[in-house]
Amino acid sequence: MNGHPTREEDFDLYALGAVEGEERQAIESHVAQCAACSRRLAEAQGRIALLALGAPRVEPSPSVKVRLMNKVRSTVQGRAVRSAPVEPQRAGGFFEQWWAAVLAPVAVALALAALFLWTENARLDRQVADLRATMQDQQKQLDYARVVAHLLEARDTISVSLAPMPGMANGAVKVMYNEKMGVLMYDGWIDPPPGDKSYQLWVVPKQGSPISAGVFNPATSDSAHWLTKVPEGIPVKAFAITLEPAGGMASPTGPMVLIGPVS
Amino acid sequence: MRASDAALIERIVAKDETALAALYDRYAGMLLSVLNRIVRDKQAAEEILQDIFYQLWRTAPQFDASRGSLPGWLVVIGRNRAISLLRRHTPSQGEELLENTVVLPVNLERMAAQEQLFGRVKCALESLPKEQRAAVEFAYFEGMTHSEIARRTGDPLGTVKTRLRSALESLRRNLQLETA
Repeated sequence: MNGHPTREEDFDLYALGAVEGEERQAIESHVAQCAACSRRLAEAQGRIALLALGAPRVEPSPSVKVRLMNKVRSTVQGRAVRSAPVEPQRAGGFFEQWWAAVLAPVAVALALAALFLWTENARLDRQVADLRATMQDQQKQLDYARVVAHLLEARDTISVSLAPMPGMANGAVKVMYNEKMGVLMYDGWIDPPPGDKSYQLWVVPKQGSPISAGVFNPATSDSAHWLTKVPEGIPVKAFAITLEPAGGMASPTGPMVLIGPVS
Repeated sequence: MRASDAALIERIVAKDETALAALYDRYAGMLLSVLNRIVRDKQAAEEILQDIFYQLWRTAPQFDASRGSLPGWLVVIGRNRAISLLRRHTPSQGEELLENTVVLPVNLERMAAQEQLFGRVKCALESLPKEQRAAVEFAYFEGMTHSEIARRTGDPLGTVKTRLRSALESLRRNLQLETA
């Protein structure tokens, strides 16, 4: 994503945590540099936070507040003890002064070492958490790449080019389909649909009604290719893309935009 | 007269325990409800609830009430902690940073406002088509991404994306949410 996300839903979807992979990284890197979008994201976080009110109401047990306040009081008392004025000490003898002279620097050194270890530990914790999140992202990308590689390598995967129908939107789409695996990959581009319409990809079987293989809108999606699962073992006559109301339909109702017969 | 969240935060910074107790009374029910819905274990939810209010006690000086809303911050932090527990995942530093500013479009300082909005959110969710509502609940209460929802429901990824987008559009329209 090079510019600002155009619609509020882009921020809402990010705040919801539904956006993933490259799309998520693109929003994060843009928001990090754009004050206006950072503000819009803060507003989206607030809108999404309101969904919390959709949860069935539960009241906390009284013991939770008691435990919390006890914990808080113990820290306040701890601070008070630490900051309590120290009684003036009587002047000690030679040995007391000698011990004090030795122990004071040792205590300071120990305190500094403890502080260093504590900050180092916190830094390492953060690093581990970052690495874990990166690893999960990479695992997702790897899983996707594995399925794509498996699909492309399989001998029985067919590749079908879909051509635009006369007078309809322009586009060039290729569908890779494996009947046994029941996996289909869309790859290509189409001019954005008009108004609140979406495109819907259909698997047209040799027998029976068309099966939906995905609803998409190039105007709101960054991705030019995606995978989808369809029922396994369906011999296919053609692939078609129709123009449908946003959200898609159970069976084709709109005009056909692209078609690709299986030879 | 009721003290505002910002005034109570200032008193917490000065280590006034009664201010923390007042904020707890104001938001603990709302927060526990979402935590309990996510982890489905009241005891675990109450532990997170206690941790979050203790964190508020310790880190109140870092909270800038002029930049964001306290209940928004509590809910976002709480939801992330609960989902982390559910999915055995630790939020990254980046996620924590993004949570620092949450601008709520409404003021929830009064219980009556919470109750009224509770009813509106419930109605708005119930008015969504069944599949859209399920998608929103998978994402919000189970922390699922688009592709995880697609795997769970068996629907194509594109369908899930369109469904969630439409659901969020409807929710914003039905709740008439314009940020204050």
